[in-house]
Amino acid sequence: MAMLSFEEKYRVRGGTLIGGDLFDFWIGPFYVGFFGVVSIFFATLGTALCVWGAAIGEGLAGQTWNLWQINIAPPPLEYGLGIAPMLEGGLWQAITVCAIIAFVSWALRQAEIAKKLGMGYHVPVAFGVAVGAYIVLVVVRPFLLGAWGHGFPYGIISHLDWVSNVGYQYLHFHYNPAHMLAITFFFTNALALGLHGSLILSVTNPPKNEPSLKTSEHENTYFRDTLGYSIGAIGIHRLGLFLALNAGIWSAVCIVISGPFWTRGWPEWWSWWLNIPIWA
Amino acid sequence: MKTLSRMAIALAGGLLITTTGCEFPPIDTVQLGFRGVGMEHVANPRTVQDSVDAVLAREPFVPGPPDEFGDPAPPGTWENVQVLGHLSEAEFNRFKLAMTTWVAAATGEGCNYCHVIEDSGEVNFASDAKYQKVVSRSMISMTQTANVEYAAHVGEAGVNCWTCHQGQVQPVNRWYFGDRPDPPSAGSMIERPQWERHYLDRDDARLINQTALSRNREENVSLQDTEYTYWLMIQMSEHLGVNCTYCHTSARFSDWDESPPQRVHAMRGLDMVRTMNMEYIVPLTDELPEHRLGPEGDGAKINCATCHAGAWKPQYGLPATHGIDWPALMQIGVSHPTGNGAADAGEELSGAP
Repeated sequence: MAMLSFEEKYRVRGGTLIGGDLFDFWIGPFYVGFFGVVSIFFATLGTALCVWGAAIGEGLAGQTWNLWQINIAPPPLEYGLGIAPMLEGGLWQAITVCAIIAFVSWALRQAEIAKKLGMGYHVPVAFGVAVGAYIVLVVVRPFLLGAWGHGFPYGIISHLDWVSNVGYQYLHFHYNPAHMLAITFFFTNALALGLHGSLILSVTNPPKNEPSLKTSEHENTYFRDTLGYSIGAIGIHRLGLFLALNAGIWSAVCIVISGPFWTRGWPEWWSWWLNIPIWA
Repeated sequence: MKTLSRMAIALAGGLLITTTGCEFPPIDTVQLGFRGVGMEHVANPRTVQDSVDAVLAREPFVPGPPDEFGDPAPPGTWENVQVLGHLSEAEFNRFKLAMTTWVAAATGEGCNYCHVIEDSGEVNFASDAKYQKVVSRSMISMTQTANVEYAAHVGEAGVNCWTCHQGQVQPVNRWYFGDRPDPPSAGSMIERPQWERHYLDRDDARLINQTALSRNREENVSLQDTEYTYWLMIQMSEHLGVNCTYCHTSARFSDWDESPPQRVHAMRGLDMVRTMNMEYIVPLTDELPEHRLGPEGDGAKINCATCHAGAWKPQYGLPATHGIDWPALMQIGVSHPTGNGAADAGEELSGAP
């Protein structure tokens, strides 16, 4: 892969978080780095363990190569916060460790790149929120409930079963206030991205009889005409980051409060509304 | 600074509101299915302990061990005993004494809560003049039916009056039409509606379309009917202190093959509740005085909470709830022969008065 003319000046050595200049080089266009190596190693190991689990069929569906049914399940609740036998959830524990190391290393690699480029840490922070949500799901909540078995299984259908059943453990998950916020942020994020993406596509693809490329004046005018307000070119990216991070954060909140901080149905939680002194 | 402190106050206020009523770890969980699929029972051990303590505080005085080997009392011992003719005299008295604490404790009237005191000052045990006596006869009969015909639900241990009554004349958890649902989250916006007929004469909660968006209207389930099922299930869940996954695999709610065995248990319980309401409780409506009737003129009826009161086992299975120590309640009662001939000897009552 040939290097683009301006790439050279971005390939700055040094600025690594640990390990000095170990792995401080590029393969093609890709920065490697110590954390890149760690991340790739554990991602590969974790994936291999998943394939091994599928080969021996330790999950509910038994041995299957049906991609939908392959299932790596966490330990039974009886093992609590201990280490489970390999074929009774120990494999899930090993894969979880691999996944966390791989994800966190990848965030740290992003931080190294940001450091080299002298830019802010928005990218690793944003990715860190997603990783944090995963850790809340498979470490924090199981820890608070006292058993690794509360983690979700690794499998396409099985994790959907988990999501559905855990929702119904609290009768009606749509009444979970944090879930409400998370959904609202996800949907608003999609709406904002839709508005922004369509705007960019339209200003960069003008009709044949019009001058090429519209300016930000055009963008602002469009939204001032249709919505009454234009947030602007930088503003939309700040808004996007805000919406996306909140979607992840409230997802993590909504699952960690279900169980550790509320054991009954979520509809019942809203009794406080019925009991407000104004009308109760 | 002002803005900052205002923000801090708002944040503290927000936290206070959102964490009020929160529970905290450690939490008890029970695995009900294969590991990792989220089939779990979830309970706060402190809340459970509080309600166990409350039950223990209500535990009734129980008079002596049962007279298991006594023969039935000889004919003519009592008059007008229609459902306890199988008892010896000692066991009969033991049971009667227990009933005064199980049911009439709160009134302080003892035997006289049901039995008439004549002008002469003597108690007329044979008289059916008080409605309470007619009702309790039917209730004894109902409990016998529960222990004999619904052993699959109440278990070998069976139930007695205290299981539901808890020392009160009427069990605390009962319902009337036209009444606000309790707890309020079970249908907070609607009054006692049609879906509660599931506790009476309705047996069609298992609603699920077998064909997606069928053009044949017969095959489609109405939204209204599924809403009834939804509220029935929400109410059952709160009345039993369990969640959906206690009885169902949520991906396939209607599928018996994938449901935990507790669902069969609950179905038998619903069946029992219907029998109790339709054959014993509703027919008593005409016997009841005005002040025992609900806003629409119906008498108190039962649902799961009447016995369960928010626990998966009524009063957490305390031995005082068991019927097994009460020969009066463990078989379908017979009428006590009057001693005036064999005409009514051994006559079995069918249950309904």
